[in-house]
Amino acid sequence: MAPEAILSHLHRADGSATYTHNGYCVIGAVNGPIEVQRRDEMPEEATVEVNVRPAVGVGSPKERHLETLLHNTLRSIILTRSIPRTLVQITLQVRSLPEEEISTGVNTTLTLLPHILHTALLALLSASIPLSTVLTSTLIAIPSAPNARPATPLVSPTAPELLRAKPIRSVHVFAFAGDGRMLLNESDGVFSFEEWDEAAEAAEEVCCKEEGGVGLGEGVDVDGKEGTNLEIWLREVVKRKVELEQRWKSAR
Amino acid sequence: MATSLTVVLPGDEILQDALPTPTGKKKTLTLGPGLRHIPPNTIATTIAGALATDNRKNAAWIEFNSGRYIPTTGDLVIATVQGSAGESFNCLLSPNTPPAALPHLAFEGATRKTRPQFPPNTLVYARIVSAGKDSAPELTCVEPSTGKGDGLGQVKGGMGFKISLGMARRMLAGSKGGITLPEMLGQKVGFEITVGRNGILHVDGGSVKATLAIGRALQEIDEQALGEKAQKKLAEGVLKSL
Repeated sequence: MAPEAILSHLHRADGSATYTHNGYCVIGAVNGPIEVQRRDEMPEEATVEVNVRPAVGVGSPKERHLETLLHNTLRSIILTRSIPRTLVQITLQVRSLPEEEISTGVNTTLTLLPHILHTALLALLSASIPLSTVLTSTLIAIPSAPNARPATPLVSPTAPELLRAKPIRSVHVFAFAGDGRMLLNESDGVFSFEEWDEAAEAAEEVCCKEEGGVGLGEGVDVDGKEGTNLEIWLREVVKRKVELEQRWKSAR
Repeated sequence: MATSLTVVLPGDEILQDALPTPTGKKKTLTLGPGLRHIPPNTIATTIAGALATDNRKNAAWIEFNSGRYIPTTGDLVIATVQGSAGESFNCLLSPNTPPAALPHLAFEGATRKTRPQFPPNTLVYARIVSAGKDSAPELTCVEPSTGKGDGLGQVKGGMGFKISLGMARRMLAGSKGGITLPEMLGQKVGFEITVGRNGILHVDGGSVKATLAIGRALQEIDEQALGEKAQKKLAEGVLKSL
């Protein structure tokens, strides 16, 4: 199932997005470029501030960890040098998590990370902050194989799927830039290099557009079942945004 | 203006055949908002939107209607005076951004002895003379070549309305923007509208009722992307209510 996204729906923020996928729902808002506090000001770059708020309660070290990961990844795609001495403020509010989230037994930071990355990107696109590229991200889970044969990695599994495949040996989150460069990798659990390599390949297949393959507009079936390539999905979302903005041209 | 809807994402390369083919005298390519040049000869996008090109001017830019106003030289804006410091007023173009400077002497007929006095929160219609990423924007209320005001200066009476940046651009673009409501209303009632590129629309209709009706109607055109027929219907409704 492809993720659902609504763009620019908060009218007080410069850019906003709500993203829903596999029971995860995150609201993102971006304000910027705005005036930066003197102590955070950098003479030749923009300051990026990321705030992650959990679905329940107040922020904990888990949210701080997510903020650090997001900050480093987004700093590398925002053209910070074209808007020096300003602040880009990104606020992400987790609205809901799937019920089975706690009982899956995998690192909940990693299961949330791809969704939160996508929300942040969509909100940045909605705020028209200059970016050098876009990013797509996915979660790969490798279940432990009972009888010595290598387990097939689960691509972007839902929480019930993870629960059924229990015990999970390792989970990996990958993020790729629009040109196919790997931007982020976070792995957790026990795995061999071969397994990691296989996971990275599976993630690249979902995240990046196939080289020299089918044209943009056509839906490409990855493995025949997943049916969504994230880059094609992203283009679809942006196309809807642009069509909404340009509809006055054809209005009567 | 050639407009084929080419949707682009940040980081997309603009291929040579998508760039404008110069038909005029101008040979150098002009890049507008949303495009950047990566030496030696790659043109890449930085924001999501629709690619627009103009063959006559040999220019390419990205059309988008979201985000915060970014000051650009030559833009007409409605600025809010925050206070006076030394030789200039500190003005706000959008909330939470560094203030823009408007010199006391940058008004029609202003001299050292007769400088304008504006209390905080006065609205002024001004032109941006300089805006770069390395300096705060600077405003002026006179045309530098003639020394005349040409409609710039303090905006009096009426009320300010918020509109989208794209709407402001359309209203300033004249007939190309497709906003026909003011002309339709203008045949029956008198009013004054001022459009700032920073997304502020100022309407003075003489009475509170007229001001609100016209301002709200223009906001409705913005939000619902009304075409010419719908605008005509709206204009009739507004005239009936007045």
